[in-house]
Amino acid sequence: MMLTERQSDALGEFINIAFSRTASSLSEITGQRVLLDVPQVEIYPIDKVATNLARFLPGDVASIHQPFDGSIAGDAFLILNYEGAVRLTDLLTDGGSPQPQLDESAREVLTEVGNILLNACLGMFGNILQVRVSFTVPSLHLESLDGLIDSIKKERDGLRYAIIVYTSFRIRESSVKGYLVLVLSVVSLNRLISEIESWEDRQNESIHTSTNPEASSLEN
Amino acid sequence: MNAALLRWVHDLSVQGIILTDEQLLVRFCNGWLEKQIGTKESDLIGRHLFDIFPELKTRGVDRYYFEAINGQSRVLSHRLHKYLLPMAPSSGVGTFAQMQQSARISPLYEEDRIVGTITVIDDVTERVIREMELNAQLEERGRLLSSELAARELAEANSRIKDEFLATVSHEIRAPLNAITGWTQLLLNGQLDEARSHHALDTIQRNVKSQAQIIEDLLDISRIVAGQMRLDLQPLNLTESIEAAIESVSPAAVAKNIQLIQSAPSQPVFIMGDGGRLQQILWNLLANAVKFTPGGGMVETALREIDGFAELTVRDNGQGIRADFLPFVFDRFRQAEGGSKRKAGGLGLGLSIVRNLVEMHGGVIAVESRGEGSGTVFTISLPLLIAEKDRSGSGRMGKRTDDSDAHDISGCRILIVEDDKDSREMLGILLEAFNAETMMAATATEALGQMPRFKPDILISDLGMPEIDGYDLIKQIRTLTPDQGGRVPAIALTGFAGAEEMKRVHSAGFDMHLSKPIDQDKLIKAVNQLRHKNL
Repeated sequence: MMLTERQSDALGEFINIAFSRTASSLSEITGQRVLLDVPQVEIYPIDKVATNLARFLPGDVASIHQPFDGSIAGDAFLILNYEGAVRLTDLLTDGGSPQPQLDESAREVLTEVGNILLNACLGMFGNILQVRVSFTVPSLHLESLDGLIDSIKKERDGLRYAIIVYTSFRIRESSVKGYLVLVLSVVSLNRLISEIESWEDRQNESIHTSTNPEASSLEN
Repeated sequence: MNAALLRWVHDLSVQGIILTDEQLLVRFCNGWLEKQIGTKESDLIGRHLFDIFPELKTRGVDRYYFEAINGQSRVLSHRLHKYLLPMAPSSGVGTFAQMQQSARISPLYEEDRIVGTITVIDDVTERVIREMELNAQLEERGRLLSSELAARELAEANSRIKDEFLATVSHEIRAPLNAITGWTQLLLNGQLDEARSHHALDTIQRNVKSQAQIIEDLLDISRIVAGQMRLDLQPLNLTESIEAAIESVSPAAVAKNIQLIQSAPSQPVFIMGDGGRLQQILWNLLANAVKFTPGGGMVETALREIDGFAELTVRDNGQGIRADFLPFVFDRFRQAEGGSKRKAGGLGLGLSIVRNLVEMHGGVIAVESRGEGSGTVFTISLPLLIAEKDRSGSGRMGKRTDDSDAHDISGCRILIVEDDKDSREMLGILLEAFNAETMMAATATEALGQMPRFKPDILISDLGMPEIDGYDLIKQIRTLTPDQGGRVPAIALTGFAGAEEMKRVHSAGFDMHLSKPIDQDKLIKAVNQLRHKNL
């Protein structure tokens, strides 16, 4: 499935808003300036996800998984390589010397980071797109990328697509790469794209009435 | 069924569970939580969550409840939040002010409708303590590992420096030997005319001296390391010592067209010092300055008195010292250019010996260099001899005797015991040149036979001899009566003058020892000194 340039821009902008909300939440909780780089967004059929991610995630991965349901349904993942996951928790918690392993407390931190990011994205479905989705507490998994992809494939049937968002967390002059993956059915993806398009139309209309369109949208 | 489940959760769950409606009024609180917050469920039901726990608002956690009402679940990790509800820590565990918690806040659904929130709290205090202990252990292990690595690196560096040093020693010892062997061969073959023979002898002498210097340096270092270095302190005029040192390096300076500039106070500058060792210090600094200054350069010495110290600076405009090597200048076995790259000769021991000698004199030595190409300044400060007020006069003080007196051994009867014919003859000729009367013995037995007849004033004996060696000889002599010569002052000639050797020499009964090759000046002075002792 190919996106038009306009669709791609709109999707990027939509995710940007979610990411900037995530960054400000993380900054507030940790008391440190956290930035999330402007993400690059790509869409692949589910079968191609493994090959595309394998370039960036050669070893074990830490993934935070949050399924969601409603008129748009699917699975949302935040994926980090293991070493990146260790570094991210160290940077966020400033817990003295760097730890070689993720202990239970570090796993909790990762789960919360994923929780914040995925809530921001999925929350926007409800708040901005006015699409009703429900989602539960996310879960953390440590496994190989292949294992993760297998579990995604097994989750639901039918042709599905993955929106992959490449980004990096920047904290205290360090950066950790992360991947947000939204796995959607064709129907859900079409629905999402068309909702985002009409959201963008509303945005453009509101430019004429407001100097800060994003703020007015967020307050919906 | 629902009632039974709720009962189970209330009575048996070891997590804290609290349910609210969509207004955030408390609808359920389990027994575990009741116990921890010390309030009965009946006193909580129907009250607003933020009224019971005002801290939720002040800490900004209230927003997660609004998000839950909007359908979002939220994980609160211990590491980022420490706790959700203020509760006393589990008894006997750790030193926390609050029970350490992680929590989840979720919307409560009835069919598709959100009807309230559910909060689940875990007491993670024990886990947190366990993790802290584990991290402390890992840190300690890491620290040990890195200090072990640092120690190993240091040991390896030291061993590398020693290897380089050994390579340098063997090179420095072999190079003069080549010259000596080569020229000696030519002399023995009789192929050289008189002028060339003279040149050969000059070269041999120069190389012998350089080897003797290397061995002296090695022995000095071994004495310093063993704490066996002794100084013979006497009042002396530093100005004179400097002049003497300058004189000794001036041939080298002249050869390189280096200007030697000297400035000193007009009055003598007295310190307590060991004349020979002081010469060694000054000669080393000056010789280094001349060695590392290019032709046409300048070496300047300046002496002044400052705050009870005599301060001598030796400044050159030579190649200077790299900033990264500067801190190691006085270290043993160090040369700026190590290994095969080294251009300058020597063992790299000189400055280390100098520093030790200066410090033994109660002084300090410092070095400055603005880097390569900008020259070097060495500064020595030695304590002034404060008792000296009268600075007029000759500049010689106290016990110090004139050099000509020190060399007067005329008429002295000396018994020489040496199994090596060449050495024996050399000693005889040398001492006779100073008008001493000598008697030779090739063995200890011969010497013992000559004692009653010759009645020597001084005995000079080699140590290593067949049958009866030098040690046994002196032991036997010391058993004789004074009339038989039992108290004759004795000098041992030793080839290997380590600290242990010296101890053995003195305990056997010798009064002095001189190391081979024999320095004429030292020998004569020693004879003179012992002769006066005996008077």
